[in-house]
Amino acid sequence: MKFLKASCCALAMATALALSSPVKAEDWSLAKAAEPFKGETINVIFLDRPGYRAIIKLLPQFEKETGIKVNYEIVPYENTREKEVLNFSSQGDLTVALVDLVWVGEFAENGWIVPVDHFTSDPSITDPKLDLKGFFPLLLDAFGTWGGTVYGLPFDNYSGLLFYNKCMLKDAGFDKPPATWDELLKTYAPKLTNKEKGTYAYVLQSRRGETQSADSFMRFLWPFGGSLLNKEFKSNLSSKESLDGLNFRQALAPYMPPGYVSFDHAEAVNALAQGQAAMLTEWSAFYSTLTDPKTSKIGDCLAVAPEPAGAAGRLPALGGFSLAVASQAPEEQQKAAWLFIQWATSDAIAKDYVEAGGVSGRTKVYEDPEIKAKYQFVEPLVQSWQKGVAVFRPRFPAWPAISEIIGEWGSKMQLGEVSVEQGAKEIGSRMEDVLQKEGYYDGKKKLLQ
Amino acid sequence: MSTSIEHANKTVAASAARNPSGKGPRLGHGRFVHVWFLAPAVLALLAIGTYPTIFAVVTSFHQYNLTRVRDGFPFVGYANYVSVLGDSSFWNTLLTTLEFFLVVMPIEIVLGFVIASLLHREGLGFLRSVARVTLVVPLATTYAVVGLVGRLLFNQDFGVLTQAFRAIGLDIDWLGSVGGAFAAIAIMDVWQWTPFCALIFLAGLTMVPGEIEEAARLDRASGLKLFWHIQLPFLLPGLTSLLILRSADILKLFDMIFTMTRGGPGSATELISIYIQRIGFRVFDLGTASAQAILLLILTIVLSRLYIRFLYREASA
Repeated sequence: MKFLKASCCALAMATALALSSPVKAEDWSLAKAAEPFKGETINVIFLDRPGYRAIIKLLPQFEKETGIKVNYEIVPYENTREKEVLNFSSQGDLTVALVDLVWVGEFAENGWIVPVDHFTSDPSITDPKLDLKGFFPLLLDAFGTWGGTVYGLPFDNYSGLLFYNKCMLKDAGFDKPPATWDELLKTYAPKLTNKEKGTYAYVLQSRRGETQSADSFMRFLWPFGGSLLNKEFKSNLSSKESLDGLNFRQALAPYMPPGYVSFDHAEAVNALAQGQAAMLTEWSAFYSTLTDPKTSKIGDCLAVAPEPAGAAGRLPALGGFSLAVASQAPEEQQKAAWLFIQWATSDAIAKDYVEAGGVSGRTKVYEDPEIKAKYQFVEPLVQSWQKGVAVFRPRFPAWPAISEIIGEWGSKMQLGEVSVEQGAKEIGSRMEDVLQKEGYYDGKKKLLQ
Repeated sequence: MSTSIEHANKTVAASAARNPSGKGPRLGHGRFVHVWFLAPAVLALLAIGTYPTIFAVVTSFHQYNLTRVRDGFPFVGYANYVSVLGDSSFWNTLLTTLEFFLVVMPIEIVLGFVIASLLHREGLGFLRSVARVTLVVPLATTYAVVGLVGRLLFNQDFGVLTQAFRAIGLDIDWLGSVGGAFAAIAIMDVWQWTPFCALIFLAGLTMVPGEIEEAARLDRASGLKLFWHIQLPFLLPGLTSLLILRSADILKLFDMIFTMTRGGPGSATELISIYIQRIGFRVFDLGTASAQAILLLILTIVLSRLYIRFLYREASA
């Protein structure tokens, strides 16, 4: 339903744009549009991840063409939201908001980001080729849309993928990766685990924090038919399906390297890169880390597939960031920022962006035979983005508080400090307390996630 | 400081006396001169100490969430304090902090005293000087760096300490198990702070008058008696300040643990400061976080008073 809404919204905007625009497509150019903003500086926060390193490589091209200076600061993911919230609540200097999909509700409800139709209504600063339908609908809906309004354009886009060491699988007698989680656990895991040699079938990043809540905990709810919340926004964690998923996560533990509960992305990727683990479910963004001989020994043994399916089908992890214009910025800077965001997420640079190590949210670039042949993550990625859950993690403002609760109790579950049932109950009741305070149960707030 | 101010006062007063045309003390002269000497320190203290503390006290009585600005910041009375005192996670993290203190402090005190005694002995002058300098190195290391180094030292695959313990038959899952992670942060804390204890004790030992120690040795007092009756009274003031400093320090210990374990796995290494940071800068509930911080401040003051009351004795020769 939300997906439909967002798509309709995008379609309506694109049509309105096409009809109302007095500027012909061939007359519009980025350089011309940027003329009034020459010399403006826009401030943005970037992460130390491949997608950002890719855009940094391409930035001189934008700055030369527009005369707009992009001032970026690289911040660790863990501190990004803190930095942005403090900046926005103190009317700081950020012009562009980097919006993780789980922050979109919070940023939009606080009025910190500007809806894109504020800019698309001005044809002088909107690229006629800005084709919102050209993004994967799932990404535009999940990363940039809140309550049916588009705020940000998908920029750094991830899907959970199964990265595996095909040589290890072949040695164990498998010529293809597991298609289902059940197969992974029952058929593959016992044959690929050799504790004496220190090799394990699978590794799951589970470090406390967003890694635990997003990458470890939520990954095992949706494919098993479970979910965090039911329709009334009450906890659904004690349902049979959710418990099945969480118990399944526990059952994988003997086939994972010791200490995996403290593994962040770096350690989990490293376990596959160094041949300690044969399979890893990880964000598509780490493909370039795994293919780089400086950071990975896996070489030609690396292969990529969509995440395995569960009882409810294939519902892989979904994550990523959009770029939105910060409402605190002065009007001129907002316009300059809008030009930057359009450029960074455009079809025009999508190929260069992918070749520089980024993962574009545009559909067209992945139809390019050259890109398809060169990057083996493309096919499973496109497949994963065809169908997915936009609310893989709820995107409402209460998520950070809930994520903290899951971070604590989800890892306690994995360590066996509490049983899965107890942990699910504990998270459920604490989460409901948070939602109660937010006003979801007394009709003060719409049940939007 | 006070002597120099008195001196400056006298100098200015004298010059005023030599200048009969002066029409009484003006700001910056005469009896106001001390104001100028004290002003920078007092202003700095007001800006970075007093104002934030008062702000925190005021905030702790309000609903103050930076991500809910539209709800305003209404006065809520004691509600934040009531919610903190009824929060089991607050008490659990406080208990973990107490456990951490009880584990690391005795080890640091004993090891610190042993090191101080060795350095206090006669002989090996050059080596002693080198040892004293090297003691400062852990102290000068930033907490966050200690945490990052700890993360590498205890890495399950290539960590030096993991391998060393494995060589002696102890295969411990350091950062991935509850006990292992707690032990790992304790080891890093002991590494960083034992030298501080050693230096404080060394300062105490050097204050023991040589003739008294010599007389005791001539009377054939045993090592234990020498320690108990002669050295300990000189060590107590140092020990008291050590306990005050370390108690406050452990209650606000954040960087090392955040970079090393982020409070996990589970809540195995979640000390109170990590919890307050979570409430303050993840949930952005600054009202509750301020109430927690104020309660910690009260706890620190009470502990300091207790240490002074029960441990502090002026040593006299």
